[in-house]
Amino acid sequence: MAILSPRMKNWLAGLGGHIATADKKGIPLVVVTTSAEILNDENVRFSLSTQQVDYIKNNIEENPIVAIGIGGIGSIRAAYQFKGIAKLESNQLSVNITEIYSTKPGPEAGLRLDILPLESVIKFEETRWKDNGPPK
Amino acid sequence: MKLNSEIKKALKTVGAGGSVVYLTTVSKEGIPNIVGERFVSVFRDEYIFIAEMFAQKTRVNINENPHGVITMAHPLRGRTWTFTGPITILQEGYPDDYVWEGLNASEALDEWGNWALKEPPSEVPPDIRPPALVQRGIIALKVESVTSFAPDAVGKSL
Repeated sequence: MAILSPRMKNWLAGLGGHIATADKKGIPLVVVTTSAEILNDENVRFSLSTQQVDYIKNNIEENPIVAIGIGGIGSIRAAYQFKGIAKLESNQLSVNITEIYSTKPGPEAGLRLDILPLESVIKFEETRWKDNGPPK
Repeated sequence: MKLNSEIKKALKTVGAGGSVVYLTTVSKEGIPNIVGERFVSVFRDEYIFIAEMFAQKTRVNINENPHGVITMAHPLRGRTWTFTGPITILQEGYPDDYVWEGLNASEALDEWGNWALKEPPSEVPPDIRPPALVQRGIIALKVESVTSFAPDAVGKSL
């Protein structure tokens, strides 16, 4: 179980993500959204267009593991990678987040955040970034 | 395939007026990995280079499953582009005549083996700049297709 911090939730909700999927042979396909709905501490939901659903449907059926990077300026300012198990229901892609990594360049790239207590993650964020979400 | 001038202009190091991109690779078990990349360039119109600064899972994935996807991340400005193709890592140690997908490793490394010297990220704010630019090699993707990731046209060839 991975717990999203308030900062992670704000960035995901505000800017959505690049959602990487792969078929059973490991061939990747990526869809991009501009917002996300935060369902609770470990579940997010993305609204997809019909074309996006058609594009990744086979991959999700064959292999529900996805990786997500935050879109837009979040690709710089919110250097996280989320991994999880995805489920498609109509045009909604729900993802249960199971792993969270720092992708901040330098020695903290690849640092696994979901194994830390939430208060440690929040402290980590507060000492590295001044914001608590995307600019308004 | 050859990239046009608009794409080449956009695919540059972000501090040099270019863009941040996401690079997606996949492990042999099928687990995707997606990482934002700031040091990007186009080589010979058909290869996208990314500085390999001690990548971890990306490196393992490329070595076991050489398929990559690059998506434009920021600034977008309507550039909803996805680049797909075979991918590798080039670094010092290959024979001088080593060629991957038509790309000579020595020529690539001579030009882009020291990114910090060639294109320093002077415009990147200190809080998001890597503490030190230590480069191990070049991640090279040979572009086989350019498609849209716009929600209503995803997968459509551009």
